[in-house]
Amino acid sequence: MTVAAQSERAPARPRFEWLTPALAWLLALLLVLATAEIVIDGAAGHTALIPKSPQITGWLHGVGEHLGYRVFLIAILVMTCAYAALLALTRHAGQELISKRSALIVIGALHAAVFAGPILLSTDVFSYIAYARMGVEHAINPYLHGPAAIAGDPVYEYVGHDWRHVATAYGPLYTLLSYPLAPLGVKGALWGMKLEALFASAGTLALTWRCARSRGFDPVWAILALGANPLYVIYGLGGAHNDLIMLVAMMAAVSLTLPAGPSSRDGDTWSRSAGHSWRREAAAAAWVVAGALVKATVAVLLPFMIISRRRLAPILGALAALIIGALVGYAAFGVHGIDLVAALNRDAAFVSTDSFATEIAHLFGKPGVFPIDHDLLKALLVLIVAHLMWRTWRGYDWVAAAGWTLLAISVTSTWLLAWYILWPLPLAVMARDRRLLAATLALQALFILHQISPLLAPVE
Amino acid sequence: MSDSATPAGRESWERLPARLRPRAIELPGAGRMRLIETTLLVLVGVLLATATLNDVVRQTHVNGRLIADMRTWRAYTGHDYHNLSIEQELLGPTSSQREVICGNMSPGPPKTRIQLCLAIWGPVVDGRRAVHGGWYLRAKAEDDVRGLRYGCFGPASRGICPR
Repeated sequence: MTVAAQSERAPARPRFEWLTPALAWLLALLLVLATAEIVIDGAAGHTALIPKSPQITGWLHGVGEHLGYRVFLIAILVMTCAYAALLALTRHAGQELISKRSALIVIGALHAAVFAGPILLSTDVFSYIAYARMGVEHAINPYLHGPAAIAGDPVYEYVGHDWRHVATAYGPLYTLLSYPLAPLGVKGALWGMKLEALFASAGTLALTWRCARSRGFDPVWAILALGANPLYVIYGLGGAHNDLIMLVAMMAAVSLTLPAGPSSRDGDTWSRSAGHSWRREAAAAAWVVAGALVKATVAVLLPFMIISRRRLAPILGALAALIIGALVGYAAFGVHGIDLVAALNRDAAFVSTDSFATEIAHLFGKPGVFPIDHDLLKALLVLIVAHLMWRTWRGYDWVAAAGWTLLAISVTSTWLLAWYILWPLPLAVMARDRRLLAATLALQALFILHQISPLLAPVE
Repeated sequence: MSDSATPAGRESWERLPARLRPRAIELPGAGRMRLIETTLLVLVGVLLATATLNDVVRQTHVNGRLIADMRTWRAYTGHDYHNLSIEQELLGPTSSQREVICGNMSPGPPKTRIQLCLAIWGPVVDGRRAVHGGWYLRAKAEDDVRGLRYGCFGPASRGICPR
C-alpha cells in the first residue's frame, strides 16, 4: 500500500476535536444547573407543579422563587436538549469521551440535587404514605378503602384530591415494604420514601451497567442514557415514585439471565456458552413476580422470558414466587390484597389529557376517549403482544420484546403519566434492537413537547 | 437468546414444521419483517407527532381564551384578583367554549369568600369576551355548584339558573 493510499484511508480527525470534551462537560453542567433551578424554585413552596407538602427543604427557603410553568418548562426543555446532545456526542465520540467516574459524578449530582429537594409534580408519594398509615396506625385495609378513611390523619391533607377515595392499586409487596415507614410520621415517612427511590435508582443503574456490559454495549453510555434522563430524574426520582422499585426488580431479573462478564454484542454466542444454571433462571422469573407484586405492569416480562428459555425453570420460579407472594398478600390484606387484576381494570378506565389516545381523539375531532376506544386499544395491545411473542419464539431478543410491550402499554394506555414512559428505558439501553431506544426517547420527547402550551400562552 | 432446550426438548420441537419451530437466533431472512415493522413504526410515529402538535396548538388556543376570560372577569368586577377558578364543562362540553369564571368578592384566599361567577362565551375581541350573566356562590363551595348558586342575573339565568 502506498503512503498516499494509507493517508487516504486514515480516519479523518475533526479539526475541533479538542472541543468535544469541553462541550460534553458544558452539556452535563447544563443538565445539573437546570435540575438545580427546578429544585431550588420548587423548595420555595406549593404551586401547581409542587404538591402541598410538609416542610422538608427549609434550608433552601429564600433562595428561589415559587416554581411556575415558565421556569419549569424552560428548565425541562434545556435538560432535554442537553441530554439529547450529550448522548449523541458520547455515542459519536466513543467510550473515551466520558469516563465511568465522570458519568457517575454527573448522575450523582443530578440524584443528589433532586433528593435534597421537595417532592416534584405529583402527590402519589403521599398516597403511598397514607396507605401505609392506614394499615399500621389505623388498622384499616388499604385495599378496601381510600385515604378518606383516615381523614383525621396528618397525611390526609397532602393526598391528591382525585385519589382520596381510591383504594391502593399497588402490589402487596410494595404495601408491606412501605409499612415500616408509617410510624415515622409524615416527614419521616417522606424522607424514607425519597431514600427508597434513591436506593432503587442506584440499584437500577448498577444493574443496567452490568447488563449493558454483559451484552457488549458501552455501560457508561447506558447509565448516562438512563440516569441523566430528564423524565427519570425530575418526574421519576423527583416524585419518589415506586416505579423505581419495580424497575430495580425488573433489572435484577434481566441481570440473572445474563452472564457476569462482558461479551460480544453481535449474535448470541454469549448466552449459548454461558450455561445458565437452573437456579438463576428460576430466580430471574421470581424477581419478575416480585416486581409485579410492587407494580403489576412488570409482569409482562414473564411470557417473553419463558418463551426465550423454553425450560421449566422460569415457570417453576415464577409459580413459587407467586404462591409465596399470594399467601403473604392474603395473610396481610385478605383476598383484595391479591386481586391485582381488579385494580388494573379500574386504573385502565382512567383517562389523562397527556395520553396519546386522548391526543389522537382530539386530532380526529372527538372531545375525548370513549368506552369503545378503550376496547380498541386493548385489542391493539393484544395484537402487538402476540406478534412480539411469536417473534421471540422465532429468535428475537426477548429483552427488546419485553421493552416494546412496555412501550406499547404506554402508548395504548388512556391513563399516561410521565413516569410510565420510563418503564422500557432500562431495557431499551441494552436491547439489541436499537429501534426500541429510538422509539422510547422519541415518545419521551413528544410527551415533553405536549407540556409546552403554557409556555406559548401562559395562563396566570 | 439461549438455545437452552434439552436434547429431548429439541426433539419434541422438531416434530413441528420448520416455520413453526422455536429458534435460538433469528434467521437473516427476518429483514423483510424488520422492514415492515419499521414502516409501521414510522407511520405510528408520524401519527403520534401530528396528534401531539395538534394538541399543543389546541391547548394554546384554549389558554389564550382562558386568559381573555380572566381579563374579562377583572374588568367586569373591578377586582384585580389573580386566583380565579375556571369551569369549562358546566355550560356544555368543552368544545362549546362556554366558560364559567369564579372569583372572590372580597380579598382572601381562593374560594374562602362569597364568589361571583360569570358565564362567558363568544369570540375574543380586544383581549376580552362577552359576559352573558352569572350568579353568586357561597364561600367554600367546591362540588355542588348547581345546588349552591344564587342571585342569578343576566341572560345566563334563563334556562341555566336556578338549578
